[in-house]
Amino acid sequence: MNALPHIRVTRETYETPAGISERLLAAGGTNLYGEANFRVVWGGSRLTWMGGRWTDRDESGNVIRETIETRRVPKYLPVERWHIERWMPAESYGSPEQWEAQTTEVEDGIRILALGPYPARGEYEHCFTLNGANGEFLPLSPAACDWIVRAVAWAKRQPRREQGGAIAAREARRNRDWNRDADDMLDDAVPAFHGAQFVGCVG
Amino acid sequence: MTQMQNAQSVALQLEKVRDKLPLLYERDDILLTMIQQRGDVERVSSRNMRLPLQIRPGGKAGLANMDGGDLGRGSGTVYDVAQVTPIFFRHAVEITKLVEYASNSPEKAIENTAKREVKNAMAQFRAFLDKVMQTNGNGVLGTIGAIATTGLPSGVAAQFTMAKPPGAQLFYYNQTVQVYDPTLTTNRGSANVLLVDPFNSLLQVDSLPTGTSVNDVIVHDGLTGAQPTSLFGILYHQTNATTGTWLNLNRATYPVELATPAVNGNNSAITPGAVRLAINKVRKSLGSNQVSKLIAYTALEQEHQWEQLGVTISQIIKEGAGGRASDLDLLFTGEKTMAGVPIKSSINANQTRVDFLDLSHWGRAVMQDIDFYDVGGQTVFPIYGTSGGLSAAYIFYFVTGFQVWNESPRSGSYINNLAIPTGY
Repeated sequence: MNALPHIRVTRETYETPAGISERLLAAGGTNLYGEANFRVVWGGSRLTWMGGRWTDRDESGNVIRETIETRRVPKYLPVERWHIERWMPAESYGSPEQWEAQTTEVEDGIRILALGPYPARGEYEHCFTLNGANGEFLPLSPAACDWIVRAVAWAKRQPRREQGGAIAAREARRNRDWNRDADDMLDDAVPAFHGAQFVGCVG
Repeated sequence: MTQMQNAQSVALQLEKVRDKLPLLYERDDILLTMIQQRGDVERVSSRNMRLPLQIRPGGKAGLANMDGGDLGRGSGTVYDVAQVTPIFFRHAVEITKLVEYASNSPEKAIENTAKREVKNAMAQFRAFLDKVMQTNGNGVLGTIGAIATTGLPSGVAAQFTMAKPPGAQLFYYNQTVQVYDPTLTTNRGSANVLLVDPFNSLLQVDSLPTGTSVNDVIVHDGLTGAQPTSLFGILYHQTNATTGTWLNLNRATYPVELATPAVNGNNSAITPGAVRLAINKVRKSLGSNQVSKLIAYTALEQEHQWEQLGVTISQIIKEGAGGRASDLDLLFTGEKTMAGVPIKSSINANQTRVDFLDLSHWGRAVMQDIDFYDVGGQTVFPIYGTSGGLSAAYIFYFVTGFQVWNESPRSGSYINNLAIPTGY
């Protein structure tokens, strides 16, 4: 009889290679605590507090239990990707009082901080996920690192006031694209004189 | 020899573009299209479409004493049925002969006029339906915050300052609207929109229905009676209300199961914490890994505010580089995200909300796809003058009949009451 135990991997964890962290540190600079402004983390390794009522389900989606507690869970999904984070100062999260007011949940009379304690030293937040155009996995290769560094350097150079203009430009471009596509479709369906040649004749 | 009439020719052109209408309608930044593309489309008759819901779990689990102990009684799963009925919308386009005659080539003009009007009308109809899709199912496009009747241009009977959100964002020029009292009981009458100023939330109309007051609401044309029903939009499906009805179910009966998790923005600017909180509510409700299909649906205002936080950089690469950094796009999708959730923004979306939607749970019950209104194969109809003779104009209609449903209100979440950034 085969008595070998089965091992099920529930979550892979990886550490970011030191060389890549150093390059991002050089490209993105440091925050007021001397830590990197940008960093790369593996989705399965980056955990965060999440509190409240949990509804656990089996593989078929059936509810198997509900519980009120705080858990350490992966912060970003999908977990099997590299994610680039950016440090946000504490003031980005409002005051500690605002934090408590907004994130405190009461379940069955139990008060629980849904996001854990106030990030008094700031916190790293999701910037973008390293994946391909169709969302596929991309390894954290030296080439990918080059791209990330360039993106970080590019982002640092952009004045924020330009971003609103970028949104307006995108909306205008969407309208132009739709108009062009609509004209193309209708021209294709209804050519003038049903495709026959013609000349204009004035008077 | 019988001369070919204009209406016959135009009908020919409209028939030729008929199969292009769905293509003209689709656009990935329109919420309805997103639902159509990602959600289900069910063909239905005039009878209610029924959506069976497994609302509450069954069974009673607990410790057992197997030494003769009482194992207790059991229970079963609670099911109920949500119901949805399609409603019809129309968009009428009227063209005068003069429009055609304003060209040196009458036949060419006929074709160009038809094409241009089909395109313009389709764009406007899409925009209208998308605007209605932002509402809470009663067709209310805005609430009157103030009324001015003096110092207005000739022909303008009144100017409304609309309460924001949504301000005047959901109206368009020359639209026929109706004024209802705040309880949606009394229809005070209709008016035509003469000016829409979304930046200042102003609306000018050609008549002021008797009794119109501050806090009255304005609904779109075609609604009748008290508590009218329109498209079930974002505010209908994404709410934590525990009263009223949802797809024919009483919310009070299932106050938890039918409520969408919400985060109150407290009139403050959007923060990473609020976004994380909203996403986590979905994760807790559905299981921690079940958020891969979420989108963050929001207004341009909140998209801009999120960028101002400086969290994300992909949009700068994609949108702000002016093509100079296009090589960077090769690696990154360029998709804007909010804590990893793709952002879909709309000019029509509520300016104070971010809605996290799992559109795989949304769908449309369709009785009639968008098409020309057709009577015995004819899609263009003459207009009659007051004398009873023909008027120098013709009319055609777009029609569609559908309703929007969401089979799982707890599969989404939302942040509301966010501050609108300055400059909007």
